[in-house]
Amino acid sequence: MQAANKLMSVRRDLRERDVRVVLVALIIAVATVATIALFASQLQRTLVSSASSFLAADRQLEAENGRPIPAEWLDEARERGLETGRMVEFSTMISGPEGFQMASIKAVSNEYPLRGEVEIQRQSPGGERETLAAGPRPGQVWINPRLLRLLDLDIGDTLQVGERQLEVAAQLVREPDGGFRLSSLAPRVMMHVDDVESTGAVQEGSRVELVYLFAGAQTALDDYYQWLEPRLEPSHEWEGVREGETFSRSFDRAERFLLLGGSLAVLLAAVAVAVASRQYALAQRDTVALLKTLGLQGQGIGRLYLRRLALWGVAGVVGGLLVALPLFWLLVGVLGDALERPVEMHFDPAALLPALLTALVSLFAFAYPPIRRLRHVPAMRVLRAQPGETGRQALPDLAIALVAVFALVWLYAGELALVGALLGGLVLLLGILALLGLALMALLRRVRGGGNAWRLAFVGLYRHRQASLAQLSVFAMTIMLAAILILVRTSLLSDWQTQLPEDAPNHFLINIGPESVEQVSSFWQERNAPLENLYPMVRGRLTELNGEPVKEAVSKDERINALNRELNLTWMDQLPEDNEIVQGQWFSGDETEGVSVEADLAQRLGLELGDRLTFTIGSARVTEPVVSIRTVQWDSMKPNFYVAFPPDGGLRDMPATWITSFYLPGEAKGALGEFSRQFPTVSVLEIDHIIERIQEIVGQVTQAIEAILALILAAALVVMAAVVSATLRDRQREGALIRTLGGRQSLLVRSTMLEFAVLGLLAGVLGVVAAEAAVYVLQARMFDGNFRWHWQVVVPLPLISAVLLAAFGRWQLRPVLSVSPMLLLRRLE
Amino acid sequence: MNQMTDLTGNQSHPMLRVSDLGHRVNLETDTLTILQGVNLEINRGESVAIVGRSGSGKTTLLGLLAGLDTPSEGVVELDGAQISKLSEDERARLRASRVGFVFQSFQLLPALSALENVMLPLELAGIEAPEKRARELLERVGLGERLGHTPRQLSGGEQQRVAIARAFASDPVILFADEPTGNLDNRTGKAVSDLLMELNREQGTTLVMVTHDEHLAARCGRQLHIEAGILTEPEAAREQAS
Repeated sequence: MQAANKLMSVRRDLRERDVRVVLVALIIAVATVATIALFASQLQRTLVSSASSFLAADRQLEAENGRPIPAEWLDEARERGLETGRMVEFSTMISGPEGFQMASIKAVSNEYPLRGEVEIQRQSPGGERETLAAGPRPGQVWINPRLLRLLDLDIGDTLQVGERQLEVAAQLVREPDGGFRLSSLAPRVMMHVDDVESTGAVQEGSRVELVYLFAGAQTALDDYYQWLEPRLEPSHEWEGVREGETFSRSFDRAERFLLLGGSLAVLLAAVAVAVASRQYALAQRDTVALLKTLGLQGQGIGRLYLRRLALWGVAGVVGGLLVALPLFWLLVGVLGDALERPVEMHFDPAALLPALLTALVSLFAFAYPPIRRLRHVPAMRVLRAQPGETGRQALPDLAIALVAVFALVWLYAGELALVGALLGGLVLLLGILALLGLALMALLRRVRGGGNAWRLAFVGLYRHRQASLAQLSVFAMTIMLAAILILVRTSLLSDWQTQLPEDAPNHFLINIGPESVEQVSSFWQERNAPLENLYPMVRGRLTELNGEPVKEAVSKDERINALNRELNLTWMDQLPEDNEIVQGQWFSGDETEGVSVEADLAQRLGLELGDRLTFTIGSARVTEPVVSIRTVQWDSMKPNFYVAFPPDGGLRDMPATWITSFYLPGEAKGALGEFSRQFPTVSVLEIDHIIERIQEIVGQVTQAIEAILALILAAALVVMAAVVSATLRDRQREGALIRTLGGRQSLLVRSTMLEFAVLGLLAGVLGVVAAEAAVYVLQARMFDGNFRWHWQVVVPLPLISAVLLAAFGRWQLRPVLSVSPMLLLRRLE
Repeated sequence: MNQMTDLTGNQSHPMLRVSDLGHRVNLETDTLTILQGVNLEINRGESVAIVGRSGSGKTTLLGLLAGLDTPSEGVVELDGAQISKLSEDERARLRASRVGFVFQSFQLLPALSALENVMLPLELAGIEAPEKRARELLERVGLGERLGHTPRQLSGGEQQRVAIARAFASDPVILFADEPTGNLDNRTGKAVSDLLMELNREQGTTLVMVTHDEHLAARCGRQLHIEAGILTEPEAAREQAS
């Protein structure tokens, strides 16, 4: 056995092309899956911590009724290892040397913020900015820069808050939880929570919101919420990052994209391993026959190859990890660059599990079956070549492999829709392939040879019809997988870009009195920041649904925020560009009755067209039928409304103020102070920092997506190389023979390149068609984008694939051209 | 056969002329001399056997004579054309129009049927209606019923008959055969060599055959011996010995 073992040594193995391909495929599979998993886990952590800082915590519990939550709830949280903090938010009048101003106060405890950082500026103006993970000390306040101008204050001056004088210690540039809340319209004053009582601003009955902050491990948070949920009252609201409307969509889709990428990597690697190991098994038949002739039994042969497979597995996993770890390290660095801040490297060993599973499944579901059959190779083969494998033998293998790989994808992505879409795409592809293959062969049969490279190429395709069809299938599949990823990436990125363009509105003006609408508008017009969408706004509560109190009409299980607070109602004659009517019809020009309701709210309330809604506005009541239901882009940074009336409809006599959002470039921000002095009653809401953060996160996710796309495309190239090199020997022999029989080099080169180019073009077209089909399903199910043909991918991809394959074809001819045909024929004998 | 005139212009020269041919292979440490000082002339229509033991250099010589490889030194003139002066493509054109091959290991393409294998050189030479000519040839070698079979479905003798049909497909003026019966049993080998000789006579082809089979060699008009890379003619050798 010593000689036989030597025959099976890995070093010897490495000299065989097929083994090298299997190993490279395994290494790429393990590396891609491991890198993606590690990076996804890192990204998730970074994203969550970025996004968490929007809450200044991982979770917030809001008590809108202003009553503190029981102390035991906080004790319970701390016992479960969670950090806690506390904030009190309310509006009150403040005063300085220059008069009074309504301010929105946020009083924070010592622990604030649990996530993210506060940015302040201790000297004004133009002093250095500081970021710190703390709020002001007792006795001090940090205030919005606009307040300095409005009240003519300086750093170090005192500010009167209710009955209390507090020192202005810094300008508040950015707060981590500077979320978008209409309750905080007035400029911000941040103070310490211990000072609240002494201001006397918070009295019985004043509108106060208490917010509790929680941070800690995901599982601890989930467990705590399970404990907490039954105890919550209707006025309590538990808020996490994922429920936040602004980010959850981008975030979810990024996660899904990563999973999709990982799954495709698994599929591609599996295909490469399958192709290469099948080829390897075919090439091993002579060796096996010889070993059998020398007396080794089938079982012994099985053991030999099994051991070898295990060795490859170990080599593949170790090699893959050696590639993955530096790559991961590099990606984290890129991530840090993108974020312009160091990112804490987070290595999650559990993320390596899918990679190991991938290696295992690729080896045993894909590589093992053809190798297992080696023991059935008859010893007689030594004397006389036996017929090769028939397709029927390979069929059960294929079935096993498909089941295995889709189970793997399912396990990996946990998305039945994903598995379904991929499987559907593949089935469609194979169906088209079968039909096309038949048609093509019928067509090619008519082509007869000649000295012409084109004819020779077609004759070549026909002659290698079996191999051609097999290659066509694998190429088309590879291209389909790569195309899916490119398509999803493209639509994902363009979606994000249209969602938040460079000039997305970054300031809101609220509370514009009807008499100053004109002046406000021309103020900004003069400063090149025109206001595009000015909407009237009337605050009102939805109280009745078809004459029944709304809280009774709606199931108790549905906790609908919109019902707990006043809604912003508006009237408009034009449907906003990014809104879309899903039911009913938009108001006609002179409509006087009816309302248009936002689709989500309509769904949660179970509204149908014609239902009558009653709103209580001040002391008035307005009842209108639902005439249309529309979708709203909540993350568009434009004023959005749950309920809209026609201009001459139910709101016509109600007192309204106007609201708008607009884009103000950073360098023009100075105008805000002037604006506030000129229009002291208009509230300015600055959300430019929020938008910067969102763009930062999108940038970060984009980087990750690009990196992963590059990895997958590399995997696709390896698959193609593996498939092309599978027929290398035959092609080289043929090339040598053609040269021996007098074929000119240039003819050989041209016809081979043409043959591969045609194959690549066909595979490309099939691949993108199947990819579009799969993307159609994926878009609808997973990325909730709208499907359309992607010409920018559909057209170039087949061309690229044709060029690439022609290059592969040329590459494999290399030895045929550089060596004398005599030598080559001998070598290949 | 009229295609052959365009390269040389006349037919007064011998079919094959070799002078001072030598061939060496560079190994890692030293140089291995495979052939040295080979001089030879073969006339049109002659049939010549080159006989020698394994490793004597006879297959290398055949490759050089046929222009499949280029020698380290010396000149090979095939039908008036100096092979070593021709570019690779010119050599290929020469092979396509005037040279046929039969190999010991048949060298049929496994993916192609018998018919397609025979059609291949016809297609390469750009000959019209290659299928008709290929059919005729396969019928001539007795395989008219097996046109669609692939090499795997044919016996060794049948494969070699396909190879012979292929060799004659493009009407070569000279045929090189490398141990054409080497992989066949006696009876089959005899049948194959009969076929080869017959076709050779019918077509008036010049035949250069490498073999270690003395019986097969004896069927050729002229026998050359090769040993350790040196080519000798028996009469001359006998004279030298005496």
